[in-house]
Amino acid sequence: MRDHARVAIWFAWLALIAAVGWGVASHLKISSDLRDFVPPARTADQKLLLDEIGKGPGSRLLLLAISGAPKAQLAGLSRGLDDALAHDPAFARVANGDNDLAEVASDLLPYRYLLSPTLDSHRLDAAYLHAQLQQRIEDLSSPAASMLEPWLRRDPTLETLKLARRWAPSHQPKLIDGVWFSERGEALLVAETRAAGFDPGAQGAAIASLQKHFAALPGAASAKLVISGPGWFGVQASRHTRAEADRFGAITTAGFILMLLLAYRSAVPIVVTALPLLSGAVVGFALLALIFGHAHGITVAFGFTLLGVAQEYPLRVFSHRRIGIETSQSVRELWPLLATAIVSVCIAYLAFFASGVAGLQQLAVFTIGGLVVAGLCTRWLLPLVVPPARRDMAATPGLARAWHFLAHLPRPRWLPWLVAVAGVAVVVFAPGKVWQNDLSALTPIPKAELQRDARLRAELGAPDVRYLLVMRAPTAEGVLGLSERIAPLMRRLVAEHAVDGFELPSRFLPSIATQTARQAKLPAAPQLQSALQQAMQGLPFRAGVFAPFVADVEAVRKLPPLTPGKFQQSPLGARLESMLVQQGEGWAGLGTLSGVNDPAAFAALSKETGGAVHLLDLKGSTESLIIAYRHRILIALGIAALLLCAAVTFALRSPRRALHVLGPMTLATLLVLVVLRACGIPLSLFHLVSLTLAAGLGLHYALFFERRTGDEREDLRTLHATLVCVASALLVFGVLALSSVPVLRAIGLTVALGVAFHFTLSVLMAPAEHLRWEA
Amino acid sequence: MRAFRDALIAVALAATATGAMAASGLAESLLAGMAKTPPVSTPFVLVSYRGVLDRPLVVSGNLRWLGGDRMERDIAKPFKETAKIADGTITVQRGSGEVQRTPLARAPQAGAMLAGFRALLGGDVSALQKDFALSAQGSGARWVITLAPRTDALKRQLTSLVIDGRDHEPRCLTMTDANGDSSITLVGAMAEQGLRSAAPLESALAARCRNSGQ
Repeated sequence: MRDHARVAIWFAWLALIAAVGWGVASHLKISSDLRDFVPPARTADQKLLLDEIGKGPGSRLLLLAISGAPKAQLAGLSRGLDDALAHDPAFARVANGDNDLAEVASDLLPYRYLLSPTLDSHRLDAAYLHAQLQQRIEDLSSPAASMLEPWLRRDPTLETLKLARRWAPSHQPKLIDGVWFSERGEALLVAETRAAGFDPGAQGAAIASLQKHFAALPGAASAKLVISGPGWFGVQASRHTRAEADRFGAITTAGFILMLLLAYRSAVPIVVTALPLLSGAVVGFALLALIFGHAHGITVAFGFTLLGVAQEYPLRVFSHRRIGIETSQSVRELWPLLATAIVSVCIAYLAFFASGVAGLQQLAVFTIGGLVVAGLCTRWLLPLVVPPARRDMAATPGLARAWHFLAHLPRPRWLPWLVAVAGVAVVVFAPGKVWQNDLSALTPIPKAELQRDARLRAELGAPDVRYLLVMRAPTAEGVLGLSERIAPLMRRLVAEHAVDGFELPSRFLPSIATQTARQAKLPAAPQLQSALQQAMQGLPFRAGVFAPFVADVEAVRKLPPLTPGKFQQSPLGARLESMLVQQGEGWAGLGTLSGVNDPAAFAALSKETGGAVHLLDLKGSTESLIIAYRHRILIALGIAALLLCAAVTFALRSPRRALHVLGPMTLATLLVLVVLRACGIPLSLFHLVSLTLAAGLGLHYALFFERRTGDEREDLRTLHATLVCVASALLVFGVLALSSVPVLRAIGLTVALGVAFHFTLSVLMAPAEHLRWEA
Repeated sequence: MRAFRDALIAVALAATATGAMAASGLAESLLAGMAKTPPVSTPFVLVSYRGVLDRPLVVSGNLRWLGGDRMERDIAKPFKETAKIADGTITVQRGSGEVQRTPLARAPQAGAMLAGFRALLGGDVSALQKDFALSAQGSGARWVITLAPRTDALKRQLTSLVIDGRDHEPRCLTMTDANGDSSITLVGAMAEQGLRSAAPLESALAARCRNSGQ
């Protein structure tokens, strides 16, 4: 084939990858919804967690602090930001102390006597009204009189104001120029995003929008905006991880190119090696888009890691080319072994498909599709673009000596068994915890940021993100009643310092029973009229001035009580919506807590309500989900290992030969575990996936070393190919092992160790008679 | 002809501007003459005329300006109340009851009163001119300074604050709300003299503020 034809095919191939990639990118939705990633919930709390994760009232809050300017300017910035966010659809709510709750409450004005607890302890009789009117007289001389006056005729008992106070945060920072300020003189705001707290994509967009609003405010340049909260931490962690991965990516790409040049003395491998892997990846994505329509970000990351095995296919081809022989001929000779490797691994990954977890099924589809396509591309497309070799890799200086050295290493038969027994002992008996259940430990938040979050949270009285109070009842009304019943018990817990503060759904909406009871206490118009007349005696109020009040009370006597559905249409609806959720057949109320000092104290509360109310530890529930997920992965991996053994044995048609391939793989995997356990590193999901990738690479090493060629130069080419593959894997993952981000370090260290062990063991455990051809 | 007309208009405009400048200049010189070093304290009598009431409401006590935007007002009769304005927040405590906090921005009348006192007692006109247009009438011996709100937000609540005074002493602050309610605060010598009736008519009290007689 002519060179220009090869170049044309190369361009066409690249264009095809780009076209499919572009088409997929516009169709595949990468979700960050944890439900795609973890197994179906078993317990009611897990279910609640999955339904509500990140949607909970606490986790969507961003805490904002503005500093670095005079207070008047900070207050102005706070108002400007408050106004901008109030009009931003990404935010459900924003508060800076300046919000006029009385205005909000006015929407619910007709219901005020049903919502306010006043009637629980008082009646609208002459004595109560007289005391109230006396106070209003005094209010009228107050500097803030103008605020009350508009309400006076309709609402002489100031029920609207009482509601506004009741709905305001129970703990408020001090007000300066009408907005919240911290003890350190920062202007404070709270913004509630519409997006879930653990949706890094949507949180990132909301935070970017927030920062843009701030930067656009006059005088913002000299001030500093600090953001905190779960959403911010998630965005920071993924940004940091991505930045570090990109930095290491650049280093390893340069190193990889240099290594290819050194190994092959040709530029062709550089422009070609990535094509099969890329083809596999875009087809994998296309399959995800076609079958699922969406994929979880973690699935994609894991899938791409596992697909890394395909990087070896073209490298093998380059090392095995011979002078004067078409590339297609070399590929045809290699194909049976490559196909064995690909098919075995794909059969193994079928286990993931059977796991029943959407995330693992996506992983299986992506990886199997990607590997098959990468293999097919290597077999049929690669030969069309790779010119015949100008040099034989078997002639690489020093290669023969290396082979001789490796072939003559001592190979005591008992050694693998001893290593295996010792390894199992270390893995089983090493101290320290085996599993890492806390995913956040892999992307840790800097301590200074955590301390700042705690400080801002305490100053703003913002709810705890770890704990929620869950109330369950068959109906929404039942939940609200339950919430009313436990309010005094909660106040007791506050008095006992078990918790600093709480907010229950009934604080916003009382149960219909309570509303009806209050309604029954409202006097009829004639009674109210005469009580009012009596109450006004001796006071300077003009006669008839409270006629609107009498009319309102009469109207509310006939009003149907306020339902959750109706309440949710009010400006305060979003608050209740996040606190009162339908779950399957029943309803759950979510109370927020701030400053949980003694989680154990809630056990009594749970007991007193017959288990209808309990403290939900979000961290504990998430960890239980992670454990369940890992359990599924381990089972899937176990079945995958069995399938792999069967596939390899079948392909090689000899249990003895299969043992030579599977033995080194098993032992190398064990040795990686030994190192991790001995170093006291708890294992996470990322370690498991990395172990699987390393095993996939190890399968190649073992298969090729086990191959009986009887041809000295072909064996040297095998060694060349394997050395290039090992060196490139060590380069990529060894550098990653130096990362400061624990998740990258976990992947890098595990794969690099795995590659080293797999290579060493596949050489040492290969049948000696295959290696020593000179004998 | 047209050039002549334009010149005439220009002259007229210049004359108006000069007049306005002269008027505000008077206000400034009056205010400068009254400047005192905080803290400044004066007795006061506040008479409120409210639409919901059929007779005026009278409270009395002591007003203190502590400098800058800090002020305190103690009501001694007919009930006890302490109100403080600081950091843009009004804090009110009646008797031994709960402390109520209100952002100053929500009570423009209190803000206007504070701005008026700052100007009267501290001679700080610049702070005042941001929110109010100043005008003055009379002479050093007997004068009236009028504060008219500039912003729409203020205008919705407040029509004017008029300060009557004599020589270097203010006598009355008359606040007219946008809804027609009003209040007259007697300070200094006027407050010491007290009221002549338990429920003075607004017109009578206003006349007394303006009257040179006493």
